[in-house]
Amino acid sequence: MSTQRQATSASQTPHISPAELSYLYTSLSLPQNPIRPDGRSATQFRPLTAETDLLPGTNGSARVGFADGTQAIVGVKAEVERTVVGAAASYTLAEAEGAGDLDGEGGEGSGSAAGAGAATAGHGSWVQMSIEIPGFRDDDALPVFLAEMMREPLVESVSSGGKGGNGREEGEMEGGLKGRLVINRRWHWRLYIDVLLLSQPLSYPLPLLSLTTHLALLATKLPKLKSKGEEDPFFDDDWNAAEYLYPRASSFPKFGGGTATGDVPPPVQHVRPPVTLLVIAVGDNVIFDPNREEIAVADTVLAISVTRDGGAEGGLKLLSIRTIDPPSRLTQPGVPNSENVATLGATAGAAGSEEQSAAVLNPVTGEEEVPGVWRPRRGGVKRRTVAKMVKLVLEKGGVGEEVLEGLESVEVG
Amino acid sequence: MPLDTSTTYPLTKLRLDGRRWNELRLLQAQISTNPASSGSSYLAMGNTAIICSVHGPAEGRRGDASGGSAGSSGAVVEVDVNVAGFAGVDRKRRAGGSDKQSSRIGTILRSAFQSHLHTYLYPHSTISIHVSVLSADGSLLAAAVNACTLALVDAGIPMPGLLCACTAGMSGSASTPRDPNNDFLDPLLDLSLPEEQELPFLTVGTTTTVPVGEAAMIHDDEDEMKVSMLTMDSKVHCSYVETMLAVGIDGCKQIREILEGVIKKSARR
Repeated sequence: MSTQRQATSASQTPHISPAELSYLYTSLSLPQNPIRPDGRSATQFRPLTAETDLLPGTNGSARVGFADGTQAIVGVKAEVERTVVGAAASYTLAEAEGAGDLDGEGGEGSGSAAGAGAATAGHGSWVQMSIEIPGFRDDDALPVFLAEMMREPLVESVSSGGKGGNGREEGEMEGGLKGRLVINRRWHWRLYIDVLLLSQPLSYPLPLLSLTTHLALLATKLPKLKSKGEEDPFFDDDWNAAEYLYPRASSFPKFGGGTATGDVPPPVQHVRPPVTLLVIAVGDNVIFDPNREEIAVADTVLAISVTRDGGAEGGLKLLSIRTIDPPSRLTQPGVPNSENVATLGATAGAAGSEEQSAAVLNPVTGEEEVPGVWRPRRGGVKRRTVAKMVKLVLEKGGVGEEVLEGLESVEVG
Repeated sequence: MPLDTSTTYPLTKLRLDGRRWNELRLLQAQISTNPASSGSSYLAMGNTAIICSVHGPAEGRRGDASGGSAGSSGAVVEVDVNVAGFAGVDRKRRAGGSDKQSSRIGTILRSAFQSHLHTYLYPHSTISIHVSVLSADGSLLAAAVNACTLALVDAGIPMPGLLCACTAGMSGSASTPRDPNNDFLDPLLDLSLPEEQELPFLTVGTTTTVPVGEAAMIHDDEDEMKVSMLTMDSKVHCSYVETMLAVGIDGCKQIREILEGVIKKSARR
């Protein structure tokens, strides 16, 4: 358990022998068409089941079950909180100093007016996310890391709907999620997102948790505000009148000026929470939705967050990329015959001519390797591999769009 | 007039949620909800909803504080209770991962099932139970016991009979000795959260031994009921305990029938 907790990345490294790892690596890195253990194609996802609005006590909730049996439940609760202007200002400044580019582009932009900006543009700390994984405390490294990895794109995603200058469409969120949480200058919503993983993680749980959070946020409703302007807020107590946190375009009448390029049917919702996908690279191949064994031999593991770029054109926007410490670093190495004391005499006796023990340069890792002998990866990723992964996610009709379309087909609300 | 059971019940003989004294809340349950575990269940008693999953019996963790000697005579039961942040009306902030309530429920569950299950069949192994409370509205411990029983049945772990639990309370503070001539307090079955907060209550768990071998031939009409678990946190005069216990045991009997129905239904599928 202690070693498992140490390895923030690696959920659990499955117990696979070096020979099996090498076999798996070879079949996954076959040029053009990798052979995966479960027969999927490189971009194919495993089937999943999903439902929303299952907990009446929350503002929004969702459950997603993956095919391997792991399930997650997310509940979103919202509370009204008084905006402390002075504290928010100092916090913003401190964060801006520490984390550089993370903050500041919120909505107003200008750094000097950060205090006033926080009151009108919202603040990232208003969204709180906690993850419960059985067998882990919630201040262990893995849950904290996962929560931050999912919260960051969620908070920082600001719809660029106004970029064309043709006015904002109805049903668009100004200033992203942070802006939506502002009630007025003195009050705001605080959002608690609690993620429950119902079983021990069989593979790296990030995609499961991200998809569940996405659906829960889509189903989240906030009570309708009845007060106006700078009054103390009070709300309509009719829950049927409540408004979705992520506004629906269908509930707003559309005006002609907003809809751009006509050939793509506009999605039901323009603004959607981000989705984080787990992508691995093995050799020259890029593989999506990896299972536990596939992650164990990956050269690179990336978490890529994307969302729909506001507006009807339906393009995708890249929000964040994070590298994840690949568990292949922690695997046991295989020993080539040339270095094995037990077989040294035997190979020498066989004159070594037909024994192919010559080291070959692996073009991806740039290290000398004996074919068929597993060596733990040392990490590091080539720029063109990252570019390839991002391109596969973002391109039109690519994997990112496929996932978002799949999620859009889930009946919400 | 404050709206609570202790003031409205004497007037209407109805509780806040409209139940009579001896009525359970709606109990719904499913088993085998999570394919990734050995056994799992979902149980809802009124607005209390619990998901429970069982892993094992499996080889115990090495490097455990108790070492390899623990469980050499039988399996060790581990219970992990997690009350979700969104379970209550207000979102609860917890520091460090566990609070007093959940660790207390965990301890009671562990001791109850450690002695209830036939652990001697699985030496050197661990049965770990994970309980997640999705929504809390009273009778948490009782609901957790029932959910665990279902999950353990689903996992196929042998036990002498179903362990079913229920809460019972009194409709007033019941702090003075009972007056047989002027007895205005009624016992209440299956308390909800507001009732739990104002009234004295106890949680009782009972089991029946399923007759095996020759005992099965003798058809006995009345089941042999055993109280195997009893906890009480609140203060009540001792003259009321008997009534509460009797009502609680009766509630356990009703719950057993419901749980048996759930198990039989899932077996037919």
